[in-house]
Amino acid sequence: MANTVIGSSIVIDGEISGDEDLVIQGTVKGKISLRESLYVEGSGVVEADIETQNVEIAGRVTGNIQATDKVELKADCRVVGDVKAPRILIADGASFKGNVDMDTKER
Amino acid sequence: MAAKELVSGGNTVIGPSILISGKLTGDEDLTVRGRVEGELSLNRTLIVESSGVVKANVTVKNAVVSGVVVGNIQASESVELTHEGRMVGDIRAPRVIIVDGASFRGRVDMGELPPGRSLPERSTRPQIRPTMRSLPAPPPRPATPAAKTPAAAGKIPAPAGKGAAPAGKGPAAKPPAPPPPPPGRRSAGMPGIVRTASSAPPPAPLVVAAGSKKTVVVKKKK
Repeated sequence: MANTVIGSSIVIDGEISGDEDLVIQGTVKGKISLRESLYVEGSGVVEADIETQNVEIAGRVTGNIQATDKVELKADCRVVGDVKAPRILIADGASFKGNVDMDTKER
Repeated sequence: MAAKELVSGGNTVIGPSILISGKLTGDEDLTVRGRVEGELSLNRTLIVESSGVVKANVTVKNAVVSGVVVGNIQASESVELTHEGRMVGDIRAPRVIIVDGASFRGRVDMGELPPGRSLPERSTRPQIRPTMRSLPAPPPRPATPAAKTPAAAGKIPAPAGKGAAPAGKGPAAKPPAPPPPPPGRRSAGMPGIVRTASSAPPPAPLVVAAGSKKTVVVKKKK
């Protein structure tokens, strides 16, 4: 099981790309592009544009999010930016500011 | 979800298909199975596994390289290249371990090198030169041989240089003899210089000087 974890004390300033799930507990600034799922955990801070298949956010994200499948904003997350995905879930307790685009016609 | 819980251990892993380019800093152990490019600095241990590729300037406490590293590593404790490790770049760390099978090209700097040695090699050359300067007379050159083989001098020039060994020939008995004549000759400079053959104290400072030059050369080579 390939799994990438960015630990809570890690700070990455740059670009992350890959073909596997990524768990962020630390800080990432820049850009993230994956073909799998991204998990931003409660301690995670992302200041980046995100392109993935799935995103689950429990931490803080500032940036635009584009997912080919699903974006899930969990309770206690704080997200600022535009979200574009065919499926977008916003849980009770989530904090979000930005545009939502579920336009499925493109696909 | 399950995956998240499995991996969360405060330990960071960069999976094999992940590429990070940019700057990575942190305060925990980092395991790289994918690629990291740019700059990497940790207060803990970096482990580059066999599938891992790091093209970065690395500053860490410890580094264990089983994969590929291109760039310089500066570690406050140790750097280890395992048998699978390949690296191009400079290493600066107090402890550097390179295991059989590892491939490495670059410089190693472990800081302060232990002093000493290299004295035996130099002792011969410096001795000859000083004798030449102070001695107007030609004979002094073969200081060692001349002293031991006044009789055999013509016969065995080369071997005489290695003097101590051929001692059995009888010249060995003569070495003590030479000292007396010099006083008579008055070219007193000679006796003192001849004596240098035994690597006596006088040449010492010269040796040191020569030695220091040589050590510098050694560093350059590395």
